[in-house]
Amino acid sequence: MLEISIFFILAAFMLGGSIAMITNKQTLFSAFGFLVAMIGLAGMFALLESRFLALAQIMVSVGAVVVLSMLTILTINAKEENLPKEPHKYKWIFFTSVLVLPFTFLLYKTLTLLPQSFSTMETITSKVVGKALFSEWVLPFEIISILLLSAMVGAIVIARKEIVKKEEHS
Amino acid sequence: MTPNMFFLLTSLLFSIGLVGLVSRRNLFVVYMSVELMLSSINLLLATLSKILGDASGSVIALLMIAVIAAEAALFLAMIIHLYRAKKSVDSDSFTALKGVKVHD
Repeated sequence: MLEISIFFILAAFMLGGSIAMITNKQTLFSAFGFLVAMIGLAGMFALLESRFLALAQIMVSVGAVVVLSMLTILTINAKEENLPKEPHKYKWIFFTSVLVLPFTFLLYKTLTLLPQSFSTMETITSKVVGKALFSEWVLPFEIISILLLSAMVGAIVIARKEIVKKEEHS
Repeated sequence: MTPNMFFLLTSLLFSIGLVGLVSRRNLFVVYMSVELMLSSINLLLATLSKILGDASGSVIALLMIAVIAAEAALFLAMIIHLYRAKKSVDSDSFTALKGVKVHD
């Protein structure tokens, strides 16, 4: 009973945060809605007894990704006239929701074909995750590390002010 | 607490992300909608991990979080670059590739 009430509180947080995210005009308020949704997701992971995943979600998604996007929003500091004019925003959102609704229903119906009971297992601690990560998932782990390195280099190159032309100076 | 509730939440979050991706023109909202869709798939992976009693789903979700972080870094760098060029975060104002002829 306690679990169900925690689930509903977290689900309300996530749904409310994500709806606030897509409806707000001010970008920073959208980022706050996204923050609430991410914290709710971390709670969901804890509820599903994957403790390490909840910790990683808090540290990476909330602590790094959301803070980085808020920092970018505040750095850009787009004025009212630089924000896109969306006079029929709610109309568009409503129209798209009606279009997406059958897809949602289809997705849910497809997912309900999966098994309908949770297995009784012990909590997925960092020990279990670490053993799995460095035995059968070690190749994806290495590929992810290369991906992160290349994303870092690519982000620096893209966001640089102007491309340095070395050939002209030498 | 049944898996069905988690499945319903996953589908709703994915659809909200899809709606935000299609209907909004603010680049930041588009970016956060993509993140939301990826995160809803993470929730599905964690649910499957609990259903099957296998830690592999959690490991895949962990790797997905790293991919989300890489995507965030690239997307935000791209937004800064585009804003510097056009002084706007409107996705309709970026038309540099419009009408580019492809010679074959």
